[in-house]
Amino acid sequence: MSETALPIVAEGLQRYFGSGDNIVKAVDGVDLQIQPGEIFGFLGPNGAGKSTTVRMLTTLLRPTGGKGRVAGFDIVSEADSVRRNIGVALQDAAIDPLMTGTELLRLQAVLYGLPKAQHHQRAGELLERVGLTAAGGRRVGTYSGGMRRRLDLALSLIHEPSVLFLDEPTTGLDPMSRISLWEEIRRLNNDGTTVLLTTQYLEEADQLAERIAIIDHGVIVRKGRPTELKAEVGSPTLFVTVDESTHQIATGLLAKFGELRPSPEGSLGVGLHEGPSAVSNVVRELDDAGITVRNLELREPSLDDVFAEATGYRLEGAES
Amino acid sequence: MRTDQAARPINTRRTPHSAAAVGLAKRSIVNITRLPSAFLPSVLMPVFQSIAFAGTFFAIIQIPGFPTDRSINWFLPLGTLMGAGFAGIGIGFSTIRDLETGFYDRIRLTPAPRSALITGPLAAALIRAALVTTIVIIVGLIFGARPTHGPTGVLFLYVAAAGIAALGTGWGLGLAFRFRDMRAAAIMQLTFFLLIFLTDAQTPLFIMDGWLELVARINPFTNVIRLARLGFLDAPITWNNIWGGLIAIVAISALTLTFARRSLARLSDS
Amino acid sequence: MTSPVTTAPLTPTRAPAETSTIAQTWALSVRSIQSLLRQPSLIVPSLIFPLFFAALGTSSFSRATGLPGFPAVDSYLDFALAGAIVQGILFGSTTGATALATDIENGFFDRLLASPSTRTGIIVGRMAGGMAYGAFQTLFFVLVLLPFGLSIKGGIGGVVGLMVSGTILALAIGALMSAMALLTGSAEAVQGAFPLLFIALFFSSAFFPRETMSGIYGTMADFNPVSHLVEGMRDLVIEGVSASALARAILVPAALAVVSIALSLRALRHRLGAS
Repeated sequence: MSETALPIVAEGLQRYFGSGDNIVKAVDGVDLQIQPGEIFGFLGPNGAGKSTTVRMLTTLLRPTGGKGRVAGFDIVSEADSVRRNIGVALQDAAIDPLMTGTELLRLQAVLYGLPKAQHHQRAGELLERVGLTAAGGRRVGTYSGGMRRRLDLALSLIHEPSVLFLDEPTTGLDPMSRISLWEEIRRLNNDGTTVLLTTQYLEEADQLAERIAIIDHGVIVRKGRPTELKAEVGSPTLFVTVDESTHQIATGLLAKFGELRPSPEGSLGVGLHEGPSAVSNVVRELDDAGITVRNLELREPSLDDVFAEATGYRLEGAES
Repeated sequence: MRTDQAARPINTRRTPHSAAAVGLAKRSIVNITRLPSAFLPSVLMPVFQSIAFAGTFFAIIQIPGFPTDRSINWFLPLGTLMGAGFAGIGIGFSTIRDLETGFYDRIRLTPAPRSALITGPLAAALIRAALVTTIVIIVGLIFGARPTHGPTGVLFLYVAAAGIAALGTGWGLGLAFRFRDMRAAAIMQLTFFLLIFLTDAQTPLFIMDGWLELVARINPFTNVIRLARLGFLDAPITWNNIWGGLIAIVAISALTLTFARRSLARLSDS
Repeated sequence: MTSPVTTAPLTPTRAPAETSTIAQTWALSVRSIQSLLRQPSLIVPSLIFPLFFAALGTSSFSRATGLPGFPAVDSYLDFALAGAIVQGILFGSTTGATALATDIENGFFDRLLASPSTRTGIIVGRMAGGMAYGAFQTLFFVLVLLPFGLSIKGGIGGVVGLMVSGTILALAIGALMSAMALLTGSAEAVQGAFPLLFIALFFSSAFFPRETMSGIYGTMADFNPVSHLVEGMRDLVIEGVSASALARAILVPAALAVVSIALSLRALRHRLGAS
């Protein structure tokens, strides 16, 4: 597939702020190639350059250097065509609190040039889709955080965009709202929408994204499928629970399969050099030695491990 | 998860300028009615100013050669222009709010023609200015104002008010885009206030003394105020008293609206 | 109110009991002046606008001073000074009350209440800060306008009289707006009430003599206490120090102060009861 046909392409995208000694390289040479129909996760801590990259790709911010094409159009010289073909839900769901949900959807329909006859129907459909039919006539100022996010998503879908940018769509949401938003994103993706999603939640990237990029200090430090990235980190960890009396023998046996790793109280942990396939051998050896295995758990390396390995630190609040 | 369906057709639908402008104007008008703390002063202040000035400076009409024998006739056009100016600047205020909340990003993300992002709010300001003008005239009539040249004369007041609202909108929007916070609000108010008062706002030029007369003579807003007062003074309406005001309105509006348009384009630079 | 949480930063933690009230009040006055000075965008209008209008009026109305009803003055500037001072103090005192409302909004006020400061210290501190600023404004306007031809017939005594009057007026308006702040707890409401003060100013003889007004305007100005206050101050400038001038310049704001302090104490009690 030629690059121009890809929904999102970035080549050496740069954005500097300030000048002279105070120059801040918010984004410093980002390359992205996002495939049609993909959910791509853009992962990084606050201030890493995720939002700045999204603002450039969505035409809100002119790049300092590099190139970007979205939906086949140049993000600088063909900004208008880019805008017609993308939907964007920005961070914090900034929506005018004085307007009602329905009014906002209709204004959005007007600004996207939808035929007047469709406005009413389209607004109704979208409100229903995000479960806000009852709240449509209320001012947004009275909405909860989750409702605002859902309305924001509906606003970004008014013109059925083929590419969707979601900038931290679930930051600050409660777990229930988060999961329902995830479902909606999957549903949109199943309908053929390409999604670029930024997040600082590892779990969110893991759950939704087929491929991810980790950005840190304006530079992409890892890129690929979550499973592959995790595999690159190294071997999975096997946790074995055995009787206290057999700990010593078991430890000796396990050490043959890889290095011992920290483990929860009462269990033993080992990084399996040969991967998951070694589990049956471990069990057999322990059994042959007459050790009873009470519990067995194989844990793959998490994105947290990937992130930590790539950046040298762990995201706050990351699931272990 | 990926479906292999063909990519969606490229959306090439252009947003008509007029539709986008009308949509944004409508929003602006609806929103102002939902913010009573901003709306009420914008209507009441010009009314109050017209009446208060007319009352407190009642005696100036006794100065020999004063162009009207009703002080409300003298001060009503000034109050109207203040109201019209703040109708324009009010657009700047609400845009600052949109920029601060981030809602303006949502508007910039749409393919609406960029010029519609200026003309829409401009239309809203013109409507507000017409509304304020009408209210001030009605209240003024109750308090004794008497148009001296019939409806045609009053029309000049509407024209001047529209002009001030237009140039105020350009100035307000431009500053809002440059500063993106409430600093812009202070600058717009202060500059407008200074320019409108450093004129023959309070007394005719021939009565003034010293520095103010000099400043007022070169201040183009003096011409606009002259235009606004045409229908309320005793002197006949002559082309001589019209064209200066018209040129001032058109030229300054063109300048400030261009400033707004350029500043809008610069929003994506930072 | 919750358990005694953090102590307000400016409150001396273990001050001897007998000095604490004064020390606290002093600290709170200093704080209110500091917060005023730290916001030039708030104080600059209260210094610049009255001067601007005085300058504008002097140039616009120089010929009006010959009209029947105008007192004999050398220039409109002499006539306008009293109005300018009152205008400036209306601006300035509102600023202090807005700051109080902001303190209530952001919870600092509750922390003060929770700290061992005295209730009256909280209010008196603010008022004292506002009064000091009112005196400063009066002196500032006089000093700035002197080189522009201002002449004060009352001399030094007249200036002192103006400052006393300005100080008491700052107390009266400060207390009135603080009552508003305490009742509503909203800075926006305080600012929203400001135009009411402006109306009071414009329907008075602050800019033109009452004698030149007619009909309902004249009647309103007759009943408006601001007229009598301004005229008292004005007489100190254009006629000289007299018992009648001093009486109006000082007793009118003093009477206003008594009423507005009573109002603000009621509002404080209301707020204490509510929290």
